[in-house]
Amino acid sequence: MKVKNNNPEKCTEALFALAEVIDPEIGLNVVDLGLIYQIDFFEEERKIQVSMTLTTQFCPMGESIVNNVTRAIADKFQKYSVNTMLVFDPPWEPARITPEGKEFLEGN
Amino acid sequence: MITGNIQKTTSYRIVLPFYLYAALSFLVACIMLLLFSDSLQFHHFNPRTLAITHIMALGWGTMIILGASYQLVPVLIEGKLYNNFMAYLSFVFAGLGIPLLVYGFYSFDMGLPMQVGGILINLAIFLYLANLAKSLYDSKTKNVHATIVFTAIAWLFATTLLGLLLVYNFNIKILDQDSVRYLSIHAHIGIAGWFLQLVIGVGSRLIPMFLISKYTNRNLLWQIYVLVNFGLILFISFDLFGVHPMAHFITIGLILLGIGGFIFYCKKAYDQRIRKKVDEAMRLSLLSVIMLALPIIALLIFILVMNLISSNGSLANLYGFLVFFGWLTAIIIGMTFKTLPFIVWNKVYHDKAGNLRTPNPKDLFNETVFKISALSYIFGFIMFSIGLVYNQQLILNTGALLLLATAILYNFNVFKIFLHKPVDQ
Repeated sequence: MKVKNNNPEKCTEALFALAEVIDPEIGLNVVDLGLIYQIDFFEEERKIQVSMTLTTQFCPMGESIVNNVTRAIADKFQKYSVNTMLVFDPPWEPARITPEGKEFLEGN
Repeated sequence: MITGNIQKTTSYRIVLPFYLYAALSFLVACIMLLLFSDSLQFHHFNPRTLAITHIMALGWGTMIILGASYQLVPVLIEGKLYNNFMAYLSFVFAGLGIPLLVYGFYSFDMGLPMQVGGILINLAIFLYLANLAKSLYDSKTKNVHATIVFTAIAWLFATTLLGLLLVYNFNIKILDQDSVRYLSIHAHIGIAGWFLQLVIGVGSRLIPMFLISKYTNRNLLWQIYVLVNFGLILFISFDLFGVHPMAHFITIGLILLGIGGFIFYCKKAYDQRIRKKVDEAMRLSLLSVIMLALPIIALLIFILVMNLISSNGSLANLYGFLVFFGWLTAIIIGMTFKTLPFIVWNKVYHDKAGNLRTPNPKDLFNETVFKISALSYIFGFIMFSIGLVYNQQLILNTGALLLLATAILYNFNVFKIFLHKPVDQ
């Protein structure tokens, strides 16, 4: 699933950082799991807006996954403030998993 | 900064005591099973069998389900738990009431301790029912899983309320007939109404979730819901009005169809899973789904050979054993290690996430010990069942010993998770 963005170069860097954030139950990173919907960079305000979801709205691990996403982006872009917005519309579905993610899950 | 609807899960302080209580109850029940395995060769209405049954049904099954559902029901209803204090109080009341009730059965004294125990348990279940009813009412989501779970809790309250009436009926004439007459109804609204429906309601949501399966089928779940509840209501009516035992084939058939539907649902979810590798805890949970059918098959044999019951009381005990030490224990052991490590992981690491390399939740318990306990459980379960069928004390003792080993290893892993400290970097 493609992640919407307004800065492809920086978005690639952000996704690289987010590949380190793992869903503890599934063992797969949030990018390949398809949890990240959109990453926008607002240069004037030095702000990054991340829009993401969870596999289920009341996922018991949700808070920690979202914290990790925020922290990973903040660590990568230290001069920016990060706002992570959790959305459930559209809801997550297995079709959002990337081919790499599917390969991982089929082997694990 | 984080915005949007991020829901904090129910506090671990509420959930963990239930898990601990249940683990210790399982250990006590297995010790008693080993010490009194000979009791299970006699009629099921005897002090030791009743004591073991109620430790398993209330201390083990119900307590862990109460704790887990305070954590999981918010996931099902997509809302939050209404009141934490009511949840604490339900633990205190049930935690005090269960030993009193079990002591009453063990000493076969239907006096004050058992009556107080029964009242405390009913208060606990009422608080649980009211808390989840209000949570569901406040939630925007009214889905089939939540409906099944809520109906199961209503049956649980009916079970404990009837149980209390039966206790009082031993001393004061409340019901038309002797309490023993109503035992079958008491047991089956607990088994099919509470345990079976709860497992279906929660399992139909969690099993596809853990397997990352694309399969959903709400219509099938509604059909299962109707079959189980209609079957159960019919069972109660038949039992109360004293129809021929063969008529129970209809009720058993309906419930068996419901169980078959649930097995089919789980099979489809399994076939359409994206996550190919299934861990040991999940395997045991899936095995328990198949084991659901065993008590019903035993019940069919029970009816078919009804004339033999007077000389072979252990068949009724076999049925109870298949329920409480069979599918219920299998699914609890499996699901413990799919839920408890995450609850403790959240407790220990949720503030530290991102600051250090955290272990995976599944690293919080010893997987080898889990595998050994799963094997010990399966062999213990099979041996004890064979021992009950053939009335062989040596086989019963061997089976009970293996089940005790399972309980010890289970407790080892549960305490290992409880006592987990953050990994230093």
